[in-house]
Amino acid sequence: MTELIQHLSLGFSVALTLQNLMYCFIGCFLGTLIGVLPGIGPVATIAMLLPITFNLPPTPALIMLAGIYYGASYGGSTTAILVNLPGESSSVVTCIDGYQMGRQGRAGPALAIAALGSFFAGCVGTILIALFGPPLAELAFEFGAAEYFSMMVLGLVSAVVLAHGSLIKAVCMILVGLLLGIVGTDVNSGIARYSFGISELSDGIGFVSVAMGMFGFGEIIANLEQGEEREVNTSKVGSLMPTWTDLKMSFGPIVRGTALGTIFGILPGSHTVIASFSSYTLEKKLAKDPSRFGKGAIEGVAGPEAANNAAAQTSFIPLLTLGIPTGAVMALMVGAMTIQGIAPGPQVMTQKPDLFWGMIASMWVGNLMLVILNLPLISMWVQFLKIPYRVLFPGIILFCCIGAFSVNNSPAEVYLAALFGFFGYFSNKWGCEPGPLLLGFVLGPLMEENLRRAMLISRGDPSVFFTRPISCGMLVVALFLLLIIVLPQIRKKREEVVYESAD
Amino acid sequence: MALKIRSMKDFNAGLMFMGIGGLFAIGANQYPMGTAVRMGPAYFPSILGWGTVALGLFVFIESFIVEDTAPTRTAWRPLILVIGSVCAFAALINTGGLITATVVLIILSALGGHEFKWKEAVISATFLSITVWLIFDKALGLPFKLFPWS
Repeated sequence: MTELIQHLSLGFSVALTLQNLMYCFIGCFLGTLIGVLPGIGPVATIAMLLPITFNLPPTPALIMLAGIYYGASYGGSTTAILVNLPGESSSVVTCIDGYQMGRQGRAGPALAIAALGSFFAGCVGTILIALFGPPLAELAFEFGAAEYFSMMVLGLVSAVVLAHGSLIKAVCMILVGLLLGIVGTDVNSGIARYSFGISELSDGIGFVSVAMGMFGFGEIIANLEQGEEREVNTSKVGSLMPTWTDLKMSFGPIVRGTALGTIFGILPGSHTVIASFSSYTLEKKLAKDPSRFGKGAIEGVAGPEAANNAAAQTSFIPLLTLGIPTGAVMALMVGAMTIQGIAPGPQVMTQKPDLFWGMIASMWVGNLMLVILNLPLISMWVQFLKIPYRVLFPGIILFCCIGAFSVNNSPAEVYLAALFGFFGYFSNKWGCEPGPLLLGFVLGPLMEENLRRAMLISRGDPSVFFTRPISCGMLVVALFLLLIIVLPQIRKKREEVVYESAD
Repeated sequence: MALKIRSMKDFNAGLMFMGIGGLFAIGANQYPMGTAVRMGPAYFPSILGWGTVALGLFVFIESFIVEDTAPTRTAWRPLILVIGSVCAFAALINTGGLITATVVLIILSALGGHEFKWKEAVISATFLSITVWLIFDKALGLPFKLFPWS
């Protein structure tokens, strides 16, 4: 217990410096600003704002990134409630009842409950990370190359299994991501692979280009493909204060949502989406009058919002303790850490405790900021939403391009982003998820390295992955997950969970 | 026997994956393979590449069996204009300067939107040029060339 307090005080002493507070605020602000824009999810937001953090030292950079992530989640909920357009996939659920509340003139309380629910979940999440982080990291020190490889396999498989859409196409996307990650100079042999003699490629494809192209440009073009009619609830925001009944009714859902979100957050995959959908389903089943759902039931906002914020917090755990990203957002964080010169893994906690604990503390601070500062700023976000998309999107493209360029001060990254935009648009259209590709892309080089090392140590014996217990366990779970999904009953259930609430 | 494509999405996706996987797998041949113990640079990409080809083939075959909704119609105009504007930006930023690139990007990409209004585009381009100049040149001091004559 005293150790916990010690760690947290170290963390807060780092997080509460004026400089880091400022960066946290900037992150939350920018994240909300971009997250509010319809059609830009947290991944695209982070990808877009990532280059800003490159010039900062590691701790403020990561603090700002975390702030951007939470801000984007919060912005997405705001758009869902006001405009019925989910800013990100997990906001889809918030749209259902949140938008209805808005139409009834209760957008204010909806927004307030969403923020408070998220804050509660954030507090719980922070404590959990602080409690379980160190023991998990210690466990990770037992890991050898074989364990890391198997864990990455498990991570990739679960990411696919829990995601929506065609399983086999998602696996293909992972493989393509792994292949793209290999482009560049092979560390072992010094040979430049797939670089076609282009010097910019010999360093590998910048992941900013991939992220911006597939999540930024691809999404924008897909948006332009559709029509542009949106009824905006802006005139009816009114008072933000929820009634006492609202608070009472929301308490249970928030607690349950937090619990659900915490569990799903640790598992790899689209944690926030599954968390919010599950929470909605649960609340609907538990409610005394389920018919209220879909017409503005506040539990339908409180639960899912808490769930998705809890999932967002705890999804940092595998990254910060084991160094394994469990989703597209975390993949971007890994990329950011690598660019900052930090190798993600359990050693981060021991070698750079101020970075680790500072980041955890600032997550809590960020959550607090979002409640205190962003709620009053709602009217500003509302003004933003009034700008027609046709005026907004060129600006978004512009900032993406500048960001991509500034990575290496080279137009090559921008061209690559354009290429990935093209690829992303079509692959998405044909039912291939972009998230798994990004995850594979970030893990590719790591997986190869661990595979090589494991084989080297075992002198070419592939059974090493199964003879070592932890590694074997993880591969068995991965196989189990794959088999489960293939079974028809489970397949149907999975589609139900994912698609039911979307009507 | 006439084969009916039941899922255009899978058909296209399958071909795409087979193509990408094949390119990587064949491309790997120019590098040494090595052995399982000491993997050469071609080892991992070969496995992955051929794996992608195999799975892509599976998806391709599935497209004749499993029914799926048709993909939405390709929006060529926004696609070409957005991608084109990004490429134009890349081409112009070091030659014509940041401001030139910005203006071209805004106007070109706006043409890909639903209703293009010249007045809006020009105002937007001006406003964004000034914003970009303030943020990246004045505030952050990044070494951008601003105009063709800078």
